[in-house]
Amino acid sequence: MATDFEFRKQVLDMHVSSEVIKYCYQCNRCTDNCPVSAVTDGAYDPRQNILNSLLGFKDAIFSADKIAIWGCTVCDTCDEVCPQSIELTEIFKFLKNESVKKGDAPEHYYLQAKAILESAKAIPSQPAIERRREQLGLPPVAAPNINEINSLFKNMGLDKKLK
Amino acid sequence: MAEFKMFEGCVIGNRIPFIEAACRKVFDKLGIQTSQGPFSCCPDPTGFANFDHDGWLAIGARNLALAEAEGKDILSLCNGCSNTLRLVDHALKHNSLKKDKINQELAKIGKEYKGNIDVKHFVSVLKDQIEKIRGLMVKSLSNIKVACHPGCHYMRPSEVMQTDDPMHPKDLKELVVACGANVVDYAEEVLCCGSSVSNAIWDKETDPNWGLELFKKKMDSIKKAGADCVAVNCPACYQQFDGMQRELSKKFGEEYKVPVLYITELMALGLGISADDIGMKFHRVRTSSLLEKLG
Repeated sequence: MATDFEFRKQVLDMHVSSEVIKYCYQCNRCTDNCPVSAVTDGAYDPRQNILNSLLGFKDAIFSADKIAIWGCTVCDTCDEVCPQSIELTEIFKFLKNESVKKGDAPEHYYLQAKAILESAKAIPSQPAIERRREQLGLPPVAAPNINEINSLFKNMGLDKKLK
Repeated sequence: MAEFKMFEGCVIGNRIPFIEAACRKVFDKLGIQTSQGPFSCCPDPTGFANFDHDGWLAIGARNLALAEAEGKDILSLCNGCSNTLRLVDHALKHNSLKKDKINQELAKIGKEYKGNIDVKHFVSVLKDQIEKIRGLMVKSLSNIKVACHPGCHYMRPSEVMQTDDPMHPKDLKELVVACGANVVDYAEEVLCCGSSVSNAIWDKETDPNWGLELFKKKMDSIKKAGADCVAVNCPACYQQFDGMQRELSKKFGEEYKVPVLYITELMALGLGISADDIGMKFHRVRTSSLLEKLG
């Protein structure tokens, strides 16, 4: 298995001014406490993801079944139980961002980003719900400035990541 | 108490607004003042954060800047929104290079993140008023058993959320008790509801929905404990509980129909507000049996 040093550096840079990830001793407490690992018979394995990330085994991570990265529910349980205080979820977020760049992420993530680009909301306003708000005596949702969100997308190249 | 900027979030504002109605009515009774703001999506810590981390920081920081411009703290009605806004604030406060980079982007749209306001989840704010809540209760809820599901992001990651014990949460239970109802403990209390993966399954036909597997574990544990209803404080969890019990019943051939209430709905009932006034008819899992039991 080849080490990708650039990828490894990006992983190590995730914890600013901290080297905690280097001190992972593979105790498996993350996987033991991971609810998804429990229901997928280990097909999702946070310990393995940390090991592969730390060793720079980029191909092993991204050529595996999608569940290897996207199985994570972001429940943050692993972060709480890690004896070395490694913020595993931050590393997994980085892996997911890379998967998005490759166009490999589940459709849901591209669709949500597109909704935010177009309406500034993950769930756009709909006439039926607007009527329901009125029935309930609620004011309309304060309209967000869509142009500003659009500008952030374009300036930061987020629109190019959409499908 | 100073006025908060209320951050209702996309799900509550644009999909299940009856939750906002219950929250507002409870806040009114307690004298918690809020005003609206033209916020965008927070953005979703289980969705957009996975799409692009820096984009997520920038859009989150822009929301914080809107509240900062008015010098008001944010009151969030949602675990996801309070998680994102607190995580973004924390990340930028602890990484000046990143803060500079994000502020360069915000400057192009005439905004600046300073980091001088607080973001509070509504449960934390209610918890600070627990004696007042107890005193205002007019309707007895003493004959129902409530299973509490505070959800992951109310308290995790604990270093950032600074609310409750991350693996043994108690705030929501204390609120249920203050309402005069009974808390029923169950084995899978801190288990994730599975919503974020249930939403993102890439091929609904062929891929196993392990989000639903988590949810089944959770519901089986709640049923075993004999709960009359579930109390939640997150709209994503609410939707998983309220919307997916039917899926569970279909898939596993067992009945799942435990009513699910936002904690502010339960509180509103105890405060004497009628179920009609807070739109409880819009729940998917019928609440009529629970309401009958309460009389």
